[in-house]
Amino acid sequence: MTELPRTELVDITLRTLGVCGSALGLALLLGLPVGIALGRRRFRGRAGLVAAVNSGMGAPPVAVGLVAALLLWRSGPLGGLGWMYTPTAMVAAQVVIALPLVVGITLAAVGALAEDWELQVRALGIPARWRLWLLLREIRLGLLAAVIAALGGILSEVGAVMMVGGNIAGETRVLTTAILMYTQMGAFEAAIGLAAVLLGLMGVLAGVLTAVQQSGRA
Amino acid sequence: MSEPVLTVRDVDLVRASRAGAFRLRVDELSLYRGEVLVVLGPNGAGKSTLLRVLAGLEPLSRGSREQRAGGAAALVFQRPAAFAGSVSHNVRAALLGSGLSRGDAQQRVRAALDRFDIGHLAARRAATLSGGELRRLVLARAFAALPAVLLLDEPYDDLDLAGQAALTLDLRRVIAETGVAVAVVTHDLRRALLLADRIAALIGGRVRQQGPRAEVLARPASRAVARLVGMDNLVAAVADPDGWGRVDDAHRVPLATTPPAGEIGWIGIRPEHLKLDVGRGEGEAIGKGRVESLVDDGITTHVRVAWAGLELRTHLLAGRGLARTLSIGDPMSLSVRPECVHWIPGPDPM
Repeated sequence: MTELPRTELVDITLRTLGVCGSALGLALLLGLPVGIALGRRRFRGRAGLVAAVNSGMGAPPVAVGLVAALLLWRSGPLGGLGWMYTPTAMVAAQVVIALPLVVGITLAAVGALAEDWELQVRALGIPARWRLWLLLREIRLGLLAAVIAALGGILSEVGAVMMVGGNIAGETRVLTTAILMYTQMGAFEAAIGLAAVLLGLMGVLAGVLTAVQQSGRA
Repeated sequence: MSEPVLTVRDVDLVRASRAGAFRLRVDELSLYRGEVLVVLGPNGAGKSTLLRVLAGLEPLSRGSREQRAGGAAALVFQRPAAFAGSVSHNVRAALLGSGLSRGDAQQRVRAALDRFDIGHLAARRAATLSGGELRRLVLARAFAALPAVLLLDEPYDDLDLAGQAALTLDLRRVIAETGVAVAVVTHDLRRALLLADRIAALIGGRVRQQGPRAEVLARPASRAVARLVGMDNLVAAVADPDGWGRVDDAHRVPLATTPPAGEIGWIGIRPEHLKLDVGRGEGEAIGKGRVESLVDDGITTHVRVAWAGLELRTHLLAGRGLARTLSIGDPMSLSVRPECVHWIPGPDPM
């Protein structure tokens, strides 16, 4: 039985948070405007986009990882970027996994507002950027749901990060890939320690977000 | 009359709607300070579209909208959306981007809530309000930004009679205090009459008539407007030289005006002006009729009387005088004051 050195545990945990946090941030940055636009506007081809988002919400991470790996492979179309087996590639793959969740849940939250919501806000004479602020405030419970779903999805995901990251010690090893590796090696003590940290992280994040969500109801 | 606060002119716009293309045309419509214009029209007449035009929310490819006073034109929708959060947050939201300091905004919110008598609800979640409280909230929200023009779409929806009366009193007081110019659209004549200084009749996307309330009620310009404003008795007739309208050889009705002899037109009498079995001095007798039907809603007895092969409507106070003894089949002599009989010239097949 191998015990994991504390420094390595901290290193892996911080990298996990870094990769997942970056992916979540990017997914929100890209997904919120798209979700709001899809929820508020009616245009030709919207139904197709919504269907694509909905099926993307259930896309298996392993398949996403495979596509990302094929694209980023040295001889692949994006091979020139040199991202393969780097944290950047892991962030990119996780953005692809999180994006449909963010877009889909934002879209549903915006769609739940009254049909003429925006017109009603305009009718109060509120300037455009404040209208957006009001909209975000109005759908904030939905946004929190999107954050929880996206973070849950990428924090616990192992297939994609393994394929494009490669689980390189000190470089691309994150909690899930480390757990997988130590389990395969029969180093159960280390795997259990890592799993406890992962579960703890999920618990803390879910707790914080739920607390925010509940206080936001007032 | 003072200078109008808001005028729309030569508007001609086409909108796609669920029922197909819809066209709204307005030659000229103005709102005046401290005055309520009620736009009365049946469902699908274009009332809400007109309100959005007045609010400046509809891009106009033809025509103009000119607002002479500063301040917003606030529109309160038929199904108002409250924002998530407290009542005071809802009102404060209307001041977003107004540049007011926190303290000034707070004061403005309080004043707006008090104005509509919901100061005690400030901390309540908007989602927990009753229909009447929500109406007051959205009015307070619209008033927070001190609009020069207030536009209300069916403001009495979801209110009981007591709520309608209370809201009417509050609106009247606020309009007098602030001098805001108001337009209300509704399909309900009785609610329209609660607030109207002036009435515009909107039918099929066109303003058919506008004027002071009493004038539109008593002198509708067409049969369609007459029906809209409750002038239910409309009878085809020919003008006699002596200022009477001839319905047939046995039936004539005295007119308020003297149209050219031989003119074809319509006699219009409001139900409340058609009298049953009253003594002399209460107008001119127009012959006998027979009671066809009686409907009593506890306040009013609605009576239909057969006369000259037609059916005329009138009403009586329920449970009082004649209404207590009247029964179906009773013969009745009918009379009407000439000044209450309106003449609508022209064959007007509508």
